[in-house]
Amino acid sequence: MGDFFSNLSLGFGVALTLQNLGLAFLGCLVGTLIGVLPGVGPIATIAMLLPITFGLDPTGALIMLAGIYYGAQYGGSTTAILVNIPGEATSVVTALDGHQMARQGRAGVALGIAAIGSFFAGTVATLVIAALGAPLTKLALIFGPTEYFSLMVMGLVFAVVLARGSILKAIAMILVGVLLSTVGTDLETGEERMTFGLPFLADGIDFAVLAMGIFGIAEIMRNLDHTETRDVVRQAIGRLLPNRDDFKQSYKPVLRGTFIGAALGILPGNGAVLGPFASYTLEKKLAKDSSRFGRGAIEGVAGPESANNAGAQTSFIPLLTLGIPPNAVMALMVGAMTIHGIIPGPQVMTKNPTLFWGMIASMWVGNLMLLIINLPLVGMWVRLLKVPYRLLFPAILMFCCIGIYSINSLPTDVMFIGFFGFIGYMLIKFGFEPAPMLLGFVLGRLMEENLRRALIISRGSLETFIERPVSAGLLAVAAILLVIALLPSIRKGRDEVFTE
Amino acid sequence: MSTLHEGAGPDRPDGPVRAPQNVAGGLVLVALAALALWLTRDLDQGTLNAMGPAMLPRWLAIAVGLSGLALLASAFIKHGDALERWNLRGPVFVIGGIVAFALTIRPFSFGALTTPGLGMLFAGPLAIIIGGYATNEARLRDLVILSLSLTPFCMILFGDLLNLPIPVFPQALTGLFPSNWSQKEVLRATAAIMAVVAVIVFLATRGRRRGSIDVADHSGRI
Repeated sequence: MGDFFSNLSLGFGVALTLQNLGLAFLGCLVGTLIGVLPGVGPIATIAMLLPITFGLDPTGALIMLAGIYYGAQYGGSTTAILVNIPGEATSVVTALDGHQMARQGRAGVALGIAAIGSFFAGTVATLVIAALGAPLTKLALIFGPTEYFSLMVMGLVFAVVLARGSILKAIAMILVGVLLSTVGTDLETGEERMTFGLPFLADGIDFAVLAMGIFGIAEIMRNLDHTETRDVVRQAIGRLLPNRDDFKQSYKPVLRGTFIGAALGILPGNGAVLGPFASYTLEKKLAKDSSRFGRGAIEGVAGPESANNAGAQTSFIPLLTLGIPPNAVMALMVGAMTIHGIIPGPQVMTKNPTLFWGMIASMWVGNLMLLIINLPLVGMWVRLLKVPYRLLFPAILMFCCIGIYSINSLPTDVMFIGFFGFIGYMLIKFGFEPAPMLLGFVLGRLMEENLRRALIISRGSLETFIERPVSAGLLAVAAILLVIALLPSIRKGRDEVFTE
Repeated sequence: MSTLHEGAGPDRPDGPVRAPQNVAGGLVLVALAALALWLTRDLDQGTLNAMGPAMLPRWLAIAVGLSGLALLASAFIKHGDALERWNLRGPVFVIGGIVAFALTIRPFSFGALTTPGLGMLFAGPLAIIIGGYATNEARLRDLVILSLSLTPFCMILFGDLLNLPIPVFPQALTGLFPSNWSQKEVLRATAAIMAVVAVIVFLATRGRRRGSIDVADHSGRI
C-alpha cells in the first residue's frame, strides 16, 4: 500500500510540472480538434499528430500522446452526439441515445454527462492501473516465450469474437495481418521475405503507414461514396451541467459502466471495444422502462461513455506490463515509444520509474483537462462540425501526408498510405472489417519471435504449448471462446448486440 | 447513407452465386495467398526446432488461401450481400493528391527521371487541389483559398515552431529574398505572402456568385 502512494506521488510530481501540464493540455486540445472531425477516429488522429511530439523528451512526448488519445476519444463522442456520425466502433453506442438527446435540445446535458462520467471512469481507471501495474509486471517476469505466444493467440481469438460480421472473414483478416507482418528482413536469418527486392520494404511495412492508410485514407474514400447527409443538431445546445435528476439517473450507470469498461479493457485483443456495448445492454436490461432507450435516455450515454473511457485507459495495462499492445491505438503508442528509445514492457517500470508513473499520473491529469476544455469549447466544436465535408477532407488529406512524411522523411511512405488506403477501401467494399487485420499485424512479429524461441527451448516440440500449465490455460480459454462464438444461439445474441 | 443500396438491395441474385460479395472476397484472399506462396518459393522453411524464414509466411499463406476457399464455397450455399457499386472518382483523385504530394515534397527519382523537390509550399496545395476533386461538389475557388490558407499554417507549425525536418520550399526561392535573410525568415515571409493572397482571393471573388450559392447553408440542415 505504501508503495502505491509513493509511486503515485512520484508520478504526480512529474505530471504536475508546468511543462508537462502544458503538454497534456495541448495534447488534449489538438486531439479533440482532430478527433472531432467526422470520419477521423483515434487511430488516424494519433498517426497524424505523432510527428508533433518528436521534438520533446520521452516523458513529455508520452504525456502529450496520451492527451491526444483521450482528446481523440472524447472528440469522437462529441461527433457521435452532435452529428450522429460515430468516429469509431466504441462511440456507436453513444450515438444511439446521445444524438436523440441532442435532438430534444439536451445536447449540452449529454456532452456534460459524457464528460463527467468519463472523468470519473478515468480517475478509477488510473487508480486501477497504478494498483495493478506492479503485480502484473511481476507476473510478466514468469512469462516465458511459450506463455507469451499463447497469450497473443488468445488476444487474437478475442479480436475475432469481438469483430462484427462473419467470423470466417475476421479470421481471414487476422491471418492476413500476421502475414503482412512477416514482410521484410527475417530477424533470425537476415533473409529478405516478400519484399519484391524493394529496399524500402526491407525493414517491413511501417505500422503507422498501414494504420493511416487503412483508417485514415480509406475512411475518406468511403465517406466520399455517400452523398453527404450530415445531421448536425439545429437545436440549441442547452445547459451543459446536468441537474439533480440527471445525476440521480446516471450515477449508477456511471459506476457500473466504469467497472465493466475497466475490467474488459485489461483483456488483450481489444476488449475495450466491448465495454460500451456491454454497458448499454446492461442498462437497458436493468431499466424499469427499457423503451426509453434509443429515444434519449441519459443512462444510455452515461454508462457506455464511462465504460468507453475506463476501457480506453485500462488497455494501457497489457502494454505497460507485458509489452503486448491490445489494440491498434496501443500499437501506435509502441511505435511512438520506440521512436523515443523506450521498449514497452515490464522493464519500463523498473528502469524508468519517473516515466512510467509520470505517464500514469498524467492520465488522470488528461481526464481533468478534457473536462475543463471540452465543456466551454463545445460551441467551437459545433462550428467545426458545420464545415462541409468537401472542404474538410482535402485538409485531412494534407495533414495525413505531412504527418506520415515527417515520421521517416520517405516519399514512398506517403505513396503507401494511398496504396493501403485503396486496399482498405476494397476490404470495406468486400465486407471485411480492417480492425482485426491491424491487430494481427501488430502482434505478428512478436508472435513469430516468441514462437521461435519457444520451439527452440522445447527442441521443436509443439506439445510445449499444452504441457506448460499457464500456456495451456490461455489456449483453453481461447478455444472455449471460439467454440462459444460459433454456437448458433450465441451467434444470434452476438449479432443482436452489434446491431442494436 | 443508404442511397447506394437501392439497386442491389432486396432482390436476391439469381444463379448459383448467392453471395457475390463473398465470391469477390474469397478470390482476393486466394490470390493473396498464391502471391505470398510464390514470393516465398525460394526461401528455406527449416524445421520446427530451427524455423527458417519461410516457415511462418508459408503456413499463414496456406491458411489465408483456405479461408478464401471456404468463403468462396459459402458464397454458393448461403445468401449474402451483393457487391456494392464502385465509384472510382473518390479513390482516383485521393490517390492522385497523395502521389502528387509524395513526388514534389522532395526530389524523387525513379530510373532516369527525377522530380524537382518543391517542398511543402507546392506539395501541400497540390494535394489539396487534386485530392479535393474527389467529390463532384468540388469548387476550384474554395480549394484554392483552402490551400493558400492551410499551407502557410502548416509551414509555420511544422517547419518553424516544431522544427520538423520537412522540406518547406525549393532552394531557388531564397534567391528572391534579400541574401542576408535566414531560412526561417524566408519561410515566415512566404507564409505571410500566401496568407495575404488567400485573403485577396477570398475578397476578390466573394461578390461574384453571391445569391446562387450559400456556402454556410450547403448541407441544407445548418
